[in-house]
Amino acid sequence: MPRTSPLHPFTVLALAAAATATTVAIGRWWLSVAVLLACLLLAAWARRARRLAGLAVAILAPAFGSQLLIHSMADAAGGHVLAAAGPLRITAEGLATAGALGLRTGVLVVAGLLCTLLIDRHDLIAAVDLSPAPPQLGYLLAATLLLLPALEQRQRAIGQAQLLRGATLGGGPRGWFRRVRLRSVPLVLGALQDAADRSAHLAARGFPAAGPHTRLRTVPDSAAQRRVRRIALACIVLGPVAVLAPTWAGAA
Amino acid sequence: MSTGPNRVLGLELARFRYSGASRDTLSGINLSLAPGSLTVVLGDSGSGKSTLGAVLAGMLPRHDGDALDATLHLAGQRIRHRPGAAVRIDPVGWARQVGLLPQDARHYLSGVRATVAEELALGLENAGVPRAQMHRRIAALADRLELHALLDRDPAQLSGGQERLVALAALALDTPTVLVLDEPLAGLDAAAAARICEMLDRLRSGGTALVLLARAVDRLTAGADTVLALRAGSCHELDTAVPADPAPLAPAVRGAPGTPDEVLLGFSGVGIGYPGSAHPVVECLELTVRASECVGLAGPNGSGKTTVLKAAAGLLRPSAGQVHGKSLAAGTVGLLLQNPSDQLFERTVAREVAFGLPRRGPAAARIPAVLDSLGLGEHAQAHPYELPASARRLVALATVLVREPEVLLLDEPTEALDAHGLALLHAALAVVLDRGGAVLLATHDEAFMAATAHRVHRMGPAVAARVRDRTGGPG
Repeated sequence: MPRTSPLHPFTVLALAAAATATTVAIGRWWLSVAVLLACLLLAAWARRARRLAGLAVAILAPAFGSQLLIHSMADAAGGHVLAAAGPLRITAEGLATAGALGLRTGVLVVAGLLCTLLIDRHDLIAAVDLSPAPPQLGYLLAATLLLLPALEQRQRAIGQAQLLRGATLGGGPRGWFRRVRLRSVPLVLGALQDAADRSAHLAARGFPAAGPHTRLRTVPDSAAQRRVRRIALACIVLGPVAVLAPTWAGAA
Repeated sequence: MSTGPNRVLGLELARFRYSGASRDTLSGINLSLAPGSLTVVLGDSGSGKSTLGAVLAGMLPRHDGDALDATLHLAGQRIRHRPGAAVRIDPVGWARQVGLLPQDARHYLSGVRATVAEELALGLENAGVPRAQMHRRIAALADRLELHALLDRDPAQLSGGQERLVALAALALDTPTVLVLDEPLAGLDAAAAARICEMLDRLRSGGTALVLLARAVDRLTAGADTVLALRAGSCHELDTAVPADPAPLAPAVRGAPGTPDEVLLGFSGVGIGYPGSAHPVVECLELTVRASECVGLAGPNGSGKTTVLKAAAGLLRPSAGQVHGKSLAAGTVGLLLQNPSDQLFERTVAREVAFGLPRRGPAAARIPAVLDSLGLGEHAQAHPYELPASARRLVALATVLVREPEVLLLDEPTEALDAHGLALLHAALAVVLDRGGAVLLATHDEAFMAATAHRVHRMGPAVAARVRDRTGGPG
């Protein structure tokens, strides 16, 4: 079974944001690699390393490919030409720029994905509910985070019913498109019907709360965690400023 | 009926019509509920019971054209609705007085809480009740209803009966002065039904007025102060006392089983578990279903009845043992799911029944006859979701029967069926058995089981309570 973080969700988010902001501002490749490795280790602790790697590759491969195309394949400024063909020039400077930008994007994406794997979504919703944020924010978050699992369950039920009725989908891309076509309309209509059926009862149960409200669920927190969050928030603002200020001063 | 000041809810309804409808759904209904009273409203599917429940619960009229001409008296207030001038209702304030258990209990559950305990607490949370007090109240309720095994479960993975139990418990926790219950015992096993009856008795003695919307008399309707019959949207008071235990249905379907040696479906040492589960839902199942035989599956909620049916239909693969039989080899097994909305996804009844059939095949040619046999001929071009619950259930049954399955698998087939629908179901089962097919059905409806099943296989208690069901919950 995957593990989730024993920390308050806001602590995880604040630490991830601080690490990302500082690393991107510093812009050293070795720091980016170190942060990526740390993320991978944390994902391994959560027993979600493969999931993190798969999602990260799916998102970063096209992003990194575009960086290569823009900065490496058609670099006009670099002096160290490694290969050239007509208007296309691959230069060492272009490759270095593409690599550095790709690593910064990687830190941003992997840290964000790690948060989604480490944080229990119900803890996050409860944390927002218990915070001074408007109750509608907790409602929106709950609706957003829980919609996908609900839709997944519903599309599985539709798929089973269609299978029982002899719907032959076949394999490969054609089978995939056929499955999407057959399931998407009943899935959307069913979701709308379900939302309409539930909304009156949710309203009757006072959801979302209009006034002071409580939660049965306890979200782990402590004075130490609150201090860590304050420090992390300071790092998010001051870290990049501290790193970049000398550069700005030099430029001036 | 109470008429004086000693009433907690009064309704004088001249008429109610849904937006865009051509006729009134309700007309000429007067209700007056005293504290601790039990009012039973009996009616077939489509008679307007659920609409009446929604009016009482303040969920109708909607502000998009519904026309209600009625006066309600609640908590010392008089609320006058006129067509085109409906009063805007505060849903939370109304629900503190009148709680409604809908016919499909899933609609009551929020879908935004991780555990049953949190689901029960939703109303209390939104009212700002302190956490310690919520824990105390939930623990006390769980003691009364023996819900402890469910408290840590994911509400999305409960069986149909367990969903109803949890929804009722959540309603009881908010202690409204009036509870409107739409088919509260449907899908519940005997033990759970007994617990619910006991809880409702306790609520009544505590002063809660109960309105029970039902298709037929059952154990809950015994002791009713008032019994009303709802026909075509109008109420008529019944003079006759409601029998405590209705007579079981005549065994219209059950005849002698046919060719005894021909096994159409068999389970040999079958175990079934779900991914991520340490324990199987079903263990060492030995069961055979022969030609012209109707076999019943009985057992408490969550004991794995639905799981067995899904394995027989080929939707689940056993982790141990073997599911075998002539019908499996021929691929002629049909399954009616517990919730018809899981089985309906086309825009007309005719298209729904035709889904997946070769256009020029013999099955497609049978569609008109199957629709007629289930009384659905006139609804062929209607949207399935626009039909009353009983007819919707019959549409789901038609989608199965049109393929003439050798083995018909039925999951709680009588849920939502009215008397007419039940008669049609009996006739359909007789046809399957007469042509040498077999029926395996899971139900808590003892009367239906007694009338249809040649023998009953009793499943064990809920091993499944510890199990995560990723496909809709062990039934």
